[in-house]
Amino acid sequence: MEPIKINFRDQIARNKTKSYFLMLLIFVTFIALAYVITLATAPGYFFIIMIFGIIFSLSYLLLTYYNSDKISIASVGAKKATRANYPDYHRLVEGLAIAAGLPKPKLYIMHTPNINAFASGRDPNHAVICVTDGALDQLERRELEAVLSHELGHIANYDIKFMTLVTVMVGLIAIVSQIFLRSLWFSGGREKSKEQIIFMVIGIVMAILAPIAVYLIQMSISRKREFSADATAVKFTRNPEPLIKALEKIGKINQPEKKLSKAVAPMFFANPFKNIGSTHPPIEKRIEALKRM
Amino acid sequence: MFYKYSLTSSFTMSVWLWIGIGAAVLVAGAFFSYYNRFAVLSNRIANSLSQINVQLKRRADLIPNLIETVKGFAKHEKEAIKEVTEARKALMGAKGTEDKLKADNQLEGALKTIFAIAEGYPDLKANTNFLELQRELSSTEDKVAYARQHYNDNVLIYNNLCTTLPGAWFASIYGKKEKEYLQITEAEKKNIKIKF
Repeated sequence: MEPIKINFRDQIARNKTKSYFLMLLIFVTFIALAYVITLATAPGYFFIIMIFGIIFSLSYLLLTYYNSDKISIASVGAKKATRANYPDYHRLVEGLAIAAGLPKPKLYIMHTPNINAFASGRDPNHAVICVTDGALDQLERRELEAVLSHELGHIANYDIKFMTLVTVMVGLIAIVSQIFLRSLWFSGGREKSKEQIIFMVIGIVMAILAPIAVYLIQMSISRKREFSADATAVKFTRNPEPLIKALEKIGKINQPEKKLSKAVAPMFFANPFKNIGSTHPPIEKRIEALKRM
Repeated sequence: MFYKYSLTSSFTMSVWLWIGIGAAVLVAGAFFSYYNRFAVLSNRIANSLSQINVQLKRRADLIPNLIETVKGFAKHEKEAIKEVTEARKALMGAKGTEDKLKADNQLEGALKTIFAIAEGYPDLKANTNFLELQRELSSTEDKVAYARQHYNDNVLIYNNLCTTLPGAWFASIYGKKEKEYLQITEAEKKNIKIKF
């Protein structure tokens, strides 16, 4: 593995450009899927279905994009962490926000004994950070600060914007291909033209491959981002030791999460499911990179 | 339909004219964008400086409350209490961020003494108000350090712009000079292992 040299300014600019590009890609992919599906199932209603599809995908895109913070909080069942109940959590984030020159994100808490955290939102002004009970209970103050600093790193690097959009895309494509594959059950009896059958085959292949392709892309993107967020975290705290210790603790203590949906995995500080080839680089690799700093 | 350009001057003229206009736009754009970058970065530095002062003020504001609480349990520790009061006064009176930070260091030392003394008073040590103040004070100390770090980070970005080309040319045209870093004490240097 080559040493990681990251120019943060470039990284942020890249993340922003990629985000706009991805938004366009989501839209185009959706239209392409809708096109193939319509021609395969009901060519007679082509225009109606396409117009409906465009309206649906645009509103899905905008709604999820502007509510990404709320959606991710709701999807893991996180609760608001008030300053009265979690003063230390608030204090640590306030300090780090000063170091990063960012507004203080909204803070949430998730009730699970595992050590974990995530950040979400569309930009630093609409960002949220969420940590688990386990992290608050089992990490030392500086270790917790390091984990929070990593999450703030995701916010500062505009990873949250990009990851939000990727998640939106994964969701949209999953929905569309599910609808298509299911609709095949009901369209069995009728006569089909040759053209329709061809589109149907294309559609089935796309519906199966698209979610897998998007999933793989999502994994590789999110792994790279973990390294750069670790580096950004150290840029804020100027001390890699607590982050290393926190990662070691996670390696020892955490059990696979049972209740979570797989779709939220890339958001987290450490992979909640502990499987191989996943959303996060192995903990040892991250520690290795941190030790070289 | 087509304009016919023989090798007369009108063709070459218009090409040179467009090249000239393009170059002028580029140069003007560079002048604007560098002016704005200097302005934005200076504003950011000023903003992070005010953040340091905000946190120092907050620290000073917490002290009277702390002293009241300590007095309630450990009246006889006059020496230590006086030291904190005076350090606070010095912090409030200091002009300029450098001096304020020096006074804050003094205050930090005095607070350490108070917290060490508190170990000998179980009632004080267990007092929720005292505990809360202790945490809040150490948290503001962290915030001061972070604010100072952020200030220096911003100065670094500004100075890099001033000292590398082509920024250095524009810096001399606009009369921008490198800015001073806020100095750090020996104790803080130990923690810093990396620089980006």
